[in-house]
Amino acid sequence: MFNSIEKLMVLVPALPLAATFVTAILGKRWLKERSHWPVLICIGAAFLVSLRLLSLVATESNQPGVRAVEHTVTLGTWVLVEDAAKVDGAARDFVVDFTLRSDPLTAIMLTMVTFVATLVVVYASGYMHGDAGYWRFFTYVGLFVFSMTMLVSVSNFLLLYVFWEAVGVCSYLLIGFWFEKPEAAAAGKKAFLVNRIGDFGFAIGIFLIFLTYGTLNFHDTAGVPGVLGATRLASNAYLAGAIGTAIPLLLFVGACGKSAQFPLHVWLPDAMEGPTPVSALIHAATMVTAGVYMVTRCTPLYAVSEVALMTVSTVGGFTALLAGLIALTQNDLKRVMAYSTVSQLGYMFLGLGTGSLAGVTGGMFHLFTHAFFKALLFLGAGSVMHAMHHVIDMRRFSGLRHIMPWTHKTFWFGCLALAGVFPFAGFYSKDMILGAVHEKAHGHMNLYAVLYYSGLFTAFLTAFYTFRALFLTFFGPLRTPPEAHHPHESPRTMTVPLIILAVCAVSVGAFVELSHVYTLLWHTPSLTTGVVGATAAPLLQDHHGLEMHFDVAALSTVVAAAGIGLAAFMYLGKRTEAQTIAELTSTRRGLWGYQLSLNKFYFDEIYQVLFVLPLRGVAALSYLVDRYIIDALVNFVGWVPRAVGGLLRSLQTGMVQFYALAMVLGMLVLLGSLRLAAVFGN
Amino acid sequence: MNELVVAILLPLIGVGLIWALADGSRVVARWIALAVSLVTLYWAAKCVLAKTLPSYNIPWFTSTGVDIRFNLGLDGLSLWMFALSALLSVTAILVSWEAIKERGPLFYSLLLILESGMLGVFSARDVLLFYVFFEFTLIPLFFLIGVWGSEDRRYAAVKFFLFTLAGSMLTFLGMLAIVLLHADKNPELGITFSIPEITAGLAKYPLSATQQFWIFLALFAGFAVKVPLFPLHTWLPLAHVQAPTAGSVLLAGILLKIGTYGFLRFNMAMLPVGTVTCMPWVLWLSAGGILYGAFVALAQSDVKRLIAYSSVSHLGYCMLGLFALNPLGMQGGVLQMINHGISTGGLFATFGMIYERYHTREIRELGGLARRIPLLSLFMLLFTFSSIGLPGMNGFAGEFLILLGMFQRGYAQAPAFYQWQWTAIAVLAVFGVVLGAWYMLWLYQRVFFGPLKEPADHGADDHGAHDHAAADAHAAHGHDAHGHDAHGHDASGHDDHGHGVAALPPSSVRDMNAREFWALAPLVVLVFWIGVFPQTFLAPMQADINAVSTTVESAYAAHEWPVKDSAVVAGSLPSPSVAQPQPAALDAVAAETLEFARVE
Repeated sequence: MFNSIEKLMVLVPALPLAATFVTAILGKRWLKERSHWPVLICIGAAFLVSLRLLSLVATESNQPGVRAVEHTVTLGTWVLVEDAAKVDGAARDFVVDFTLRSDPLTAIMLTMVTFVATLVVVYASGYMHGDAGYWRFFTYVGLFVFSMTMLVSVSNFLLLYVFWEAVGVCSYLLIGFWFEKPEAAAAGKKAFLVNRIGDFGFAIGIFLIFLTYGTLNFHDTAGVPGVLGATRLASNAYLAGAIGTAIPLLLFVGACGKSAQFPLHVWLPDAMEGPTPVSALIHAATMVTAGVYMVTRCTPLYAVSEVALMTVSTVGGFTALLAGLIALTQNDLKRVMAYSTVSQLGYMFLGLGTGSLAGVTGGMFHLFTHAFFKALLFLGAGSVMHAMHHVIDMRRFSGLRHIMPWTHKTFWFGCLALAGVFPFAGFYSKDMILGAVHEKAHGHMNLYAVLYYSGLFTAFLTAFYTFRALFLTFFGPLRTPPEAHHPHESPRTMTVPLIILAVCAVSVGAFVELSHVYTLLWHTPSLTTGVVGATAAPLLQDHHGLEMHFDVAALSTVVAAAGIGLAAFMYLGKRTEAQTIAELTSTRRGLWGYQLSLNKFYFDEIYQVLFVLPLRGVAALSYLVDRYIIDALVNFVGWVPRAVGGLLRSLQTGMVQFYALAMVLGMLVLLGSLRLAAVFGN
Repeated sequence: MNELVVAILLPLIGVGLIWALADGSRVVARWIALAVSLVTLYWAAKCVLAKTLPSYNIPWFTSTGVDIRFNLGLDGLSLWMFALSALLSVTAILVSWEAIKERGPLFYSLLLILESGMLGVFSARDVLLFYVFFEFTLIPLFFLIGVWGSEDRRYAAVKFFLFTLAGSMLTFLGMLAIVLLHADKNPELGITFSIPEITAGLAKYPLSATQQFWIFLALFAGFAVKVPLFPLHTWLPLAHVQAPTAGSVLLAGILLKIGTYGFLRFNMAMLPVGTVTCMPWVLWLSAGGILYGAFVALAQSDVKRLIAYSSVSHLGYCMLGLFALNPLGMQGGVLQMINHGISTGGLFATFGMIYERYHTREIRELGGLARRIPLLSLFMLLFTFSSIGLPGMNGFAGEFLILLGMFQRGYAQAPAFYQWQWTAIAVLAVFGVVLGAWYMLWLYQRVFFGPLKEPADHGADDHGAHDHAAADAHAAHGHDAHGHDAHGHDASGHDDHGHGVAALPPSSVRDMNAREFWALAPLVVLVFWIGVFPQTFLAPMQADINAVSTTVESAYAAHEWPVKDSAVVAGSLPSPSVAQPQPAALDAVAAETLEFARVE
């Protein structure tokens, strides 16, 4: 059983699904405060299974001569419409099978997702303790882990879309978990709708893929080469030109929604209304990286279009900068982290958009390390919230290192990793991305050079706001808000996951970089051949990995150090935050910049004015038209015969008679026409 | 006896039983109605699940060459609507259980008559029989709205009645024209009213394009009102708002589909040329209805009216799918007919239960109900999700096929003249999905989330207090929700200090009881079943739908489309074909095939 990749990859999503059913059915009445157990056991088991799966995939890919590792297992048919389309003169069925796949990309994602999920469930068993919706919380988490593992396992664009929306629903339910709070309910709806706008593009992209390639499968099936299957990859039969550009761009619209990239980034900060373990699991480590996963998976589709690649890079780089600027001034610890997540996701897209092997690897590498240290930071923030009785405004507490030693220490690791300080995890992955962008620029002053410098500047911002948050929260005199009657370090169920994640934040970067295990990714079918994959082959041959960019590394270290230094200068001294702000905003330009950042560049307000209000206006107008024009016309038409037939109407006493009359008239018409037909017929 | 005949006659026998036994008692009447509708459901299921779909055919009215038959039968176009009619009738009876307090026996008799009519419409295979059943559904619903409706019931009932009747008179004329012209062209069968015979006969001896066009318009008058297709929809919100819950459920669930079914059965199968001629207009009306219905729904303050306008939008999707005229779109359209019946029927039924508790439809008078009635809220959430086409639930399967089919029609199968227009229609329809999520989630947020808000005067009534013992554990749900314990997480989120959730004030309002649960549970099962295994439902109807789509597609291929300016053709979409493996060659292919006028 545990040696068959096919069985393992079915088992991974099946376990959390089973846990969801058990918790949903038994949770309320029977499990109650024990509701986390089924979910914990099943997701923990799913992690072990994923690990086994990963090792099997790795073993297979290490065999000499093996280039692509791909396993698929088909469980049934979702929809089959025969002869639905013609592609190149051949009739193609619209067929969507329940097919799971396993390759290095999937195995890596599965392992990461189930690992973080396991830790978050342990943590949440402490954090959510005593909540009346305890069972409901773990039901949703189980459902989310199922959907997320399916999202990375399915081998078909339509099913990808299915689980893409399914994780969105879990996100909606969990953001609105405390639904009697109007902010939480509104945030859930906003997240769903913004994602729907992204999915609007995604759906049209999928339509175009089907009409272009005649299938939605990633893998090859009998007689039909899959979109990302070996046959098509080998011949690199990807459509270029206008449609070839439109497809990846439309898919990217979907990625922008799910991964909170400009201009669809506005939902993620609001999503912080959800319970903090959810923010860590869904809105930092896993779900929001689905866009990165999808773009990586579709690398060959992107590789045909320079425009698409440049768009991905530009949007990513711009979002990273924008979110970094906003994060500078936020007072809410979780929102700082939320904007940081947006910014780091931007980094990943920046890497993917280079369209080079190093860039794609760097993007996925950063996804991997970011999952650990950002989950760590969010769970640390949650620990602070837990102690401060749900106060998360950094102006209202300080000096917490005195009472929360474990949270404080582990938070340091997270901050160092996020700031990209050697030898923490973020250093390596960020370096790989910046190196790839630098290389792509070829030393010329082009788009990628601009993106490189903006990326470096973003690294400076990252280091600054990260350490600003650290210093404001944990340093200075001990102050706690009055709501926190009895501030305390969190229970062990919460600190142990923090410690484990802290260890990861130190080690995974160096481990992955130095052991070159990232070369495993290059055995993913999408990255084996074609423009991107071709460059992997020679590197794999001589067992070299990618080169470290020492110049880039040195520069980014200096930049990070500068950011940390500035934060220390501003927040570790005698001055208070309020004084600093007063100084900063003393000039008009300073005030303007500060307000811009604090108010998130007014995106919510702009969207309100540009989209929401006009659409609401159209809605109100349509309703007026409906009542006073269309319905009035109908009534007028109804009035004419009534006025004409006033005499007739006076003979009627009710509708039934009218109806009977109508029937009689109808029968007369019928018989009359039959008579006429008989006459004409003869 | 034939299963079909049994299924259609049983409700009428039920009416007889109610007259004979109920003696003015609504309790006896509702139990008889429930029992009869369950037995009918059993027989309807037997019809649908039979290895060979049943049919029944005896002469009815035959003289001097006229051949009108009592001809019943099911096929792929009708079987699921037939089954859904029987199922939703049970739901309709269960949701009326306590809501109908006056003239119970009459109410349930009318419901059963309506059920018989609906089953008849979908199984009739004779033009006259179809029309009789078609009108037969009108009378009971007229009385259901007019007698048991809300404050404006009379106006709503009359408007519904006249609007539908006016349209269907023209439809009747159109049908007669088909019968007579067919008899003229194909005299060996006499003046036959048999739908299969006419369909086959007209395939061999098609009517002229002019005849088809005018008859299409005549049929359109009745069916488009019934659907209702924008802008002929204004009777629907009124009827829905005023109708009792059972009326809304059946109206949204089944009766609207008679219109789409009529288009499929008559317009497309018998008048393919007329269909193709009118298709560009119908597509625009459908897309207009999708967006218009969604926008108007967004502006509503009344829950039932909002759901009613959402029906205008959703029926636009059904029409769009059908008039995409390709297998993807048509199968999606028929599937969506069923889906809309389940999800909107479910929405009306669930909200009807809430209305029984609070006696208000105003969105602003309600709020935070998820705390008070968590289980009802869960059902409402499931139907909301189903309605906005969430994957894994029924709405998605239909919507995706429709949108893909329409996109295919516009992008890959359109004549050059219409390529941009129809692609734009498809894109607008996809955008309608975003709007759909907006108004439904907005509704849900307002009514079920946020702080608890209940109308002040609801406590006086005894609603919800009945049937309690039967509600077994469901009643225990009263205190679900999310208060927090002393340990700390009062439902304040992170930046909101010390705002705890007040204890739930006592109220006579209870969560769902067992009867209500069993009214909705079958629908929820179908929501997930169709969502996860749509093929179960698609497979039995594919062959028959494809027969229709083949008919219209051949008319489509032969149609003379307006020709575009040659200067403009160069700017049309490139062909989506991938012929050559080399990327360089692909560029060439894309460039070469800029000129595009492909009809599959």
